[in-house]
Amino acid sequence: MKVNTDIGIKLKNPFMLASGILDENGYTMERILNNGASSTVTKSIGMEERRGFDPPVIYHDENYIINAVGLSNPGIDNFEEEIKIALRSGKPVIGSIFGRDAEEFSLLARKMESYSVSAIELNLSCPHVKGYGMEVGSDPDLVSEIVSEVKSKVSIPVFSKLSPNTSDIVEEAKAAEKSDALVLINTIKAMKIDIYARKPVLSNVYGGLSGASIKPVGIRYVYEIKKELNKKIIGVGGIENINDAIEYIMAGASAVQIGSAVYKYGIGIFNKLNNDLNEFFIKNNINDIEDIIGVALK
Amino acid sequence: MKRAYIIDNITEGKNVNTVVFSTDDEIKPGQFIMAWAPGINEIPLSFSYINKIKKITVKIYGEASEYIAHLKRGDYLYYSGPYGKPFTIVPGKKLLIGAGTGIAPLIPLIDDNTYGIISGKTADDIIFERYFNNRLKIVTDDGSYGMNGYVTTALKTLDLNEFDMLYACGPEIMLKTVYDYIKNMDINAQFSLERSMKCGIGLCDSCSINGYQVCTDGPVFSIEQLKNMDEFGRTRLQYSGKRIYF
Repeated sequence: MKVNTDIGIKLKNPFMLASGILDENGYTMERILNNGASSTVTKSIGMEERRGFDPPVIYHDENYIINAVGLSNPGIDNFEEEIKIALRSGKPVIGSIFGRDAEEFSLLARKMESYSVSAIELNLSCPHVKGYGMEVGSDPDLVSEIVSEVKSKVSIPVFSKLSPNTSDIVEEAKAAEKSDALVLINTIKAMKIDIYARKPVLSNVYGGLSGASIKPVGIRYVYEIKKELNKKIIGVGGIENINDAIEYIMAGASAVQIGSAVYKYGIGIFNKLNNDLNEFFIKNNINDIEDIIGVALK
Repeated sequence: MKRAYIIDNITEGKNVNTVVFSTDDEIKPGQFIMAWAPGINEIPLSFSYINKIKKITVKIYGEASEYIAHLKRGDYLYYSGPYGKPFTIVPGKKLLIGAGTGIAPLIPLIDDNTYGIISGKTADDIIFERYFNNRLKIVTDDGSYGMNGYVTTALKTLDLNEFDMLYACGPEIMLKTVYDYIKNMDINAQFSLERSMKCGIGLCDSCSINGYQVCTDGPVFSIEQLKNMDEFGRTRLQYSGKRIYF
């Protein structure tokens, strides 16, 4: 039975830790990599140390989470130590970065490469910080320039994480076509008002929606982009169990990322997904993950 | 977001208040809530009383704690939780060790076989003496109340082998001095850690120590767990996630 997969880097299983969840600290990443995740994407790292927003940075309910952490991060120069600690696991670490323009992205990518990450994930889609993420990602010319520039500066694979907060994700994906893989989807811009306090809950007012509630949106984007572009895709958004993961894979994802579900199930979710994947393959006579990637498109 | 009706507000000491409210939540000693000051901030607070009536004891150090410490009868406390792994309660003789308001989450552990140590910088920091029926050592840095010295000054006056469990809560540096004092003795102990916390639900990696999240894997850690955590008392994370050394 073959469950290892290739997204430009080789992964022992399709289950990756998504950026932004438990991946700001080397020890935490190391622990998750030692507990069933095939790789981890780091928290998005920028040029400077950044405090992020004040709490509340998260609101959660049974089926969703809205967060506005605000791209807090220690800054690229302080992050080498964290990556070194995570790499003690012997598993690949993917460096997520955010910047204002192609120059910042390139510099960050080169530093990440020098820290021995296996690939770069470009955060072109954070929905809640002005001047970054989605604001960069919604300009196709800028996206195209950033991807080209970063690709020309590093020799490791480059992934682009795209935003669902756009009127035309196909255009966005085409702009990022030079990437080695597309990561779909980031969170959906959202908010929560407490009706008794009569105020928005998040200190930043707006945040990004994640968790089970966004899975159908993610599935649709993965399917649509796979159909239009036939690029490698990493699926993310609301995956809580093996059926969710298989659905993303059948929609066209070669690997999947797990984030919000860690809140409900703890980091034990990675070992559980691996066990359940084996069981699903056996029960359904599947021998090779390649046989089901994008099978719903055929 | 939950909300609870405030029944009372008790002034405990200088800049320390206890907010009294009623909820149906079942709280275990050592658990905490994320208390929301709408439009201001959100902070983790633990319980100093956990029956049908609940109490949280708040030291004022910023805008959110000031807002919550001043909630009065008729106001509402907005919060989410309870969160975190509680203290494990064992039968036998207990020693509670709290620095300043760190004594507050230990109060629900008190039974008729409990002894206490409360430490503080000055006399102003000492609260909750009343719960201990004189089975208590008080120690202050400046000697303005109780013994003059640190928490270890008080520990040295006790035969720790008499206790079946030590429970400690306070700043990490204080916890580390307790840990260092007892680590080579055959003594059971649990420590409630406090680190810079943002989400409270184990996702943001802000309060992590050696890959464990204080908000969900803790805040209570056993001495055995801490023996495998070399970041304990050595490093901490700033709000950005940058690791710095104590």
